[in-house]
Amino acid sequence: MISLLDIAERTQKGRKMPEDDWNMSLFRKIGELVKKYKIPNYTKDTPFLNLDDDLLERVFNAGVDLIVEHGVYCITTGRVVELSREEVLQAVRESPSEILVGTGKDARWMKQRKVEGKEKLNFCPGHHSPFTQDLAPIVVKNFAQIPRTDFIEGFNFTEVDGYEIFGAPIEAYASRKQISWMREGVRKAGRPGLAIVLYPITTRAEVLTAAIDPVDGLRSGDGILTSVLPDEKIEHDLLATAIACEDHGLWRISGSFSMMGGFCGGADGAIVEGIAKPLTAMICYRVYVNYTGVENVRTVSALSIPLQPLNWARSVVNQTLNRFTNIICMAWIIPTSGPGTETHLLETSLRTIEATINGANLYAPRHSRAQMNAGQTPVEGELMVEVSDATLAAGLDRKYGGEVLTSLAKKLEGRTPEPGFTIQECYDLVNHKPSPEFEKIYKDVKGQLTELGLSFP
Amino acid sequence: MTNGENQGALENLKDAILQYDTEAAKAAAQKVVDQKIDPKIAINEGVLSASTILHERFERGECFIPHLVMAGDAMEAAGYILEASIPKEQITSKKVVVIGTVEADLHSVGKNIVAMFFRSGGFEVHDLGVNVKASSFISKATDTNADIIALSSLLTTTRPYMREVIEELESVGLRDKFKVIVGGGPITREWAQEIGADGYGTDAYEGIEVAKQILGISGN
Repeated sequence: MISLLDIAERTQKGRKMPEDDWNMSLFRKIGELVKKYKIPNYTKDTPFLNLDDDLLERVFNAGVDLIVEHGVYCITTGRVVELSREEVLQAVRESPSEILVGTGKDARWMKQRKVEGKEKLNFCPGHHSPFTQDLAPIVVKNFAQIPRTDFIEGFNFTEVDGYEIFGAPIEAYASRKQISWMREGVRKAGRPGLAIVLYPITTRAEVLTAAIDPVDGLRSGDGILTSVLPDEKIEHDLLATAIACEDHGLWRISGSFSMMGGFCGGADGAIVEGIAKPLTAMICYRVYVNYTGVENVRTVSALSIPLQPLNWARSVVNQTLNRFTNIICMAWIIPTSGPGTETHLLETSLRTIEATINGANLYAPRHSRAQMNAGQTPVEGELMVEVSDATLAAGLDRKYGGEVLTSLAKKLEGRTPEPGFTIQECYDLVNHKPSPEFEKIYKDVKGQLTELGLSFP
Repeated sequence: MTNGENQGALENLKDAILQYDTEAAKAAAQKVVDQKIDPKIAINEGVLSASTILHERFERGECFIPHLVMAGDAMEAAGYILEASIPKEQITSKKVVVIGTVEADLHSVGKNIVAMFFRSGGFEVHDLGVNVKASSFISKATDTNADIIALSSLLTTTRPYMREVIEELESVGLRDKFKVIVGGGPITREWAQEIGADGYGTDAYEGIEVAKQILGISGN
């Protein structure tokens, strides 16, 4: 496979292009590929989840063509990284479909699943969320206590040891502290070898790599979030971090979902970028575990609950990646409502069921506009595991599962996102259980899911 | 020239922009000039009214960021022709926005939407991209004689760089020269007030309305 140093060199020597020109060129190229490969758009007659297997190969080829014919853009140097078809396809062939994360008895295999597969899902319950220093280790402990947790991602915070996190030196210190608190949390949970993934305090290379420390920090078996940017873009801090990770045996994760409404265009174009982006992450940052799918630029502000065509577009992307690549897909299950609310749990459940059927694994980041200590609780993650297991037990396939999801989506139509509560307001971190009010909501949601055909032990 | 013919010319101009057709927009603008329609009316009813429709389409998911770019190109091209026929002393210069994502933050999606909303709303926009230092914002704002500096951040830990921009403006005696508006996932109205920003928007739609209010621009 092409080396990361080759990629780095190409970011220095590729042809120059202004970023504005790149953006519009990408839009036109994706439009051409959508036409060439006859990628449909969603209509009211389209099934909730994709049922068209012939579409998947066309989508895969469109994603490969996008990289081969248009390249990847380095925003640091303003240059285009060109990749040959053979380089891209070699990377597709040679990337692993499973990787070992964590150490000792807590090591876990992260595996690619199959569409409508029966295997249980890999799972990360959080965080990607802001928590204050005083809560950090106990929050991590609570999430790590979820037995099915395979790895846990870090969190953001604004103060460390009484200092505002501001400026590279304190950011680097905070980066190390994030990992030390996470290590403390997973130890408290009795899982000292559980894989930890650094969530960027900021995206400077010196901050991301400051936490690499085989004794007290990130060690072999841990990971770092190094995401490909929207519109097929990479940059030097993340590439430098990826190169450093290679030496230390650290794996990487990328937020590789596309953003419908951006320069990729509508759902059809977002599908093409949804394939190209994880391939780009694999080639340029050596990422094998990707947060995959399609989101919408308009729902970043969480003013409405995103439903179709995103559910269908995500299904096309995840099905394609699982059929034609070895990429380990993690569904990026990001509700618009805040924790402790019915809407949050319904949104989470809907996306969990679709992920399970489409062959993705599960990742629970905070909700779209999380504020400090109000991004998530362990309840969402626990529910995700229960729902995905129930989905598998019910034998839901794309067709029947689509009918269940259509009914579930109807419960969300017309609702506006609920702001939610802080973790302290709706969850007992000492005793690892939701507040009575939140527990009632959780049980009620499970009741609603039972009425739709899922059964829970 | 009848009112009906005038209205037709303005509709053609608006339609050309809504079809993202720069050449058609230029031709329509030239026709407006040739028909001696008041260019300021044409700018309001032909050009800026198109932007309201575009923003509504974007909110409904009927058009996307690239469409706003193309519409912005068409609007700029048409606006150039129309403004050439306005006496210099009557020209209200475009309001200028310098926008970017703050230092150490690479998130761009929200910022791109806001930038496009500003551009298609008739502002002159200078998008500095991502990971932008405070000094770069100030330098660009000074060079372009900006009205607004618009700051975006999506990491809780990069919010302080918004405050840094405001503090640097104060330290060089330029705070009163520019209005500062802020937005992004972890940003709240309370944070905006805490750091002394002039405005905050939950989303692009609100951001541009807040900017117009701050600048005293009414209607379109």
